[in-house]
Amino acid sequence: MAPAIHIRDLCFAWPGQTAPCLTLSALDVDQGEQVFIQGESCAGKSTLLNLIGGVLVPRQGSLQILDQALDALSPPARDRFRVDHIGFIFQQFNLLPYLSALDNVLLPCRFSATRARRAGARPVEEARRLLDALEVDAGDAARPASTLSVGQQQRVAAARALIGRPELILADEPTSALDPRRQDAFLTLLGKEVAAHGSSLVLVSHDPRLASRFDRCITL
Amino acid sequence: MKTLLPLAWASAWNRRLSLTLATLSIALAVALLLSVTRAREAAQTHFAQSVAGGDLVVGPRGSPVQLLLHAVFHLGDASHTLAWKSYQALAADPLIAWRLPLALGDSHQGFPVLGSTPEYFRHLGDGQQQGLRFADGRPFAGLFEAVIGAEVAARLGYRTGQQITLQHGASHLDAHHHDEDANHPEHADKPFRIVGVLAPTGTPVDRTLVVSLQALEAIHLDWQGGMPMPGLSIPAEAAGKFDLTPKHLNAVLIGLHQRTDVFRVQRQINAFGGEPLMAILPGLAMDELWQLVGSVERTLHGLAWLVMAAGLAGLVAVIVASLGERRRELAILRSVGAGRRHIIGLLVLEGALVTVAGIALGMVVVEAAGHLLAPWLRTRLGMDLSGATLSIEALQRVGAVLATGIAASLIPAWRASRMALADGLLPRL
Repeated sequence: MAPAIHIRDLCFAWPGQTAPCLTLSALDVDQGEQVFIQGESCAGKSTLLNLIGGVLVPRQGSLQILDQALDALSPPARDRFRVDHIGFIFQQFNLLPYLSALDNVLLPCRFSATRARRAGARPVEEARRLLDALEVDAGDAARPASTLSVGQQQRVAAARALIGRPELILADEPTSALDPRRQDAFLTLLGKEVAAHGSSLVLVSHDPRLASRFDRCITL
Repeated sequence: MKTLLPLAWASAWNRRLSLTLATLSIALAVALLLSVTRAREAAQTHFAQSVAGGDLVVGPRGSPVQLLLHAVFHLGDASHTLAWKSYQALAADPLIAWRLPLALGDSHQGFPVLGSTPEYFRHLGDGQQQGLRFADGRPFAGLFEAVIGAEVAARLGYRTGQQITLQHGASHLDAHHHDEDANHPEHADKPFRIVGVLAPTGTPVDRTLVVSLQALEAIHLDWQGGMPMPGLSIPAEAAGKFDLTPKHLNAVLIGLHQRTDVFRVQRQINAFGGEPLMAILPGLAMDELWQLVGSVERTLHGLAWLVMAAGLAGLVAVIVASLGERRRELAILRSVGAGRRHIIGLLVLEGALVTVAGIALGMVVVEAAGHLLAPWLRTRLGMDLSGATLSIEALQRVGAVLATGIAASLIPAWRASRMALADGLLPRL
């Protein structure tokens, strides 16, 4: 089975800068593995996310997602690849405020036929099921995303990342806007759903306390 | 498109206040543009209908446009006249089917009074059909009988059987200012009876009172130099005893047996030996007049396009200004698979939506204003907007607006795609 992420001798620098802002000699994540990456806020976490998401292209080294070298793809193809195979969860403000929670969850299915297909015959049903599993009730699902609490928003974002069973879920400090008790509940729900989908999870955070519940821990 | 339109709509709805204002400014510009176009078209139709009555207009030599304005639209003062003898000489021409003498100069409550013959009602028309229809009554037959146009009747509330007196002197263009006509002495001693009211035609006939040439002679029997002669007063009953053959006319309208003879007859009249005469083709003189009016129309059009440019610039400004607060939105869209072309498509769609909404609103405003103002325009200017629909030209203009709106939306679209590329998935807020 192809590794979810395969990185060797990665080096990235912004155009016009000589000093690289991120170097990474090796990173391998197997499919189904849940990995915790711990790094300080200036350690290039967001750059790594943008590289794995195919928004940035490495200057040197190889970066393969599911055996696909991202720099071999054209920008539109990278955009398609991203939505077909990766679900993102950010720190906060994950949702389009003018859409309902349900429509936010369905967004990847709008842009990716692959995700829509994998979400089943009726993606709406799958979205409802995911929201239910992540403890967002049907009434809240119909409300505009901007009216939901931060905790609810993060769970809606998790449902959006999971819909259509992408192989890889990338989460960037998804719990930093939550209080400790809700952090725990959120990570439990997320871990359970990711495992149920058989996806890989890469969670990036500065907070080492989260590491205990992951298969593997890497420090950036 | 199917992916983006609901998103573009939802996003635009989320910022509806500022976008509504942009829509309004575009709607106003579209309304301005369309009403200039429509007014021009209505005026053109109105003018074309007005000159449909004859093949040639004959008058004293001078400016063709002036003769046209005077003879057809009864506007302005005629500086020259032609002699009755010349009118009679035209009868000898076998190519001429009919002649209609026209004498102007008096008015009633600001409406022009035209002296002619009962033939007038047979030869003039509304552009669709020859001959004027009577809403009520009949053509004049007796000396002090008058037939009034539809609008004269409607505005002054006149019916057949009523008595009216004429004022000496030409009408004022704006009938609302008939206080000024108080300066004009009245022909109060010789009142006219209204014997007929014409059906509406959408031509200057609607604004005209028609009497016989003899009647005009009769009311001026005891006048000289534009004033009643002191010490002389000829009562109405006695007027019939005088020779009432007119001595001067302002113009003659001519119909031919064969329209193809029109240039031949025109040459003959222009070469007339008795006095310097001029025959004009109403359509050609109208084109000349139209060139004068055309420059005004072009200026108005230029202004309308400037307003349109301001409206579209406002739209671009509103969308560009919104981009700063939409960085997060663009990043989220990127993370769920939106590429550069999607971002561009989304913003162009937004601009197009606002432009389309503005165009639709502008068209509604023009239609509504057309309906509300149609009676007013008809009475004030004789222009008929009721039949006006969207012409090809108006549609072309609307299409040009839409294309410009979409092209203008490329500015924020390009900027948004640059921002989205630079920000990636995590904008620094």
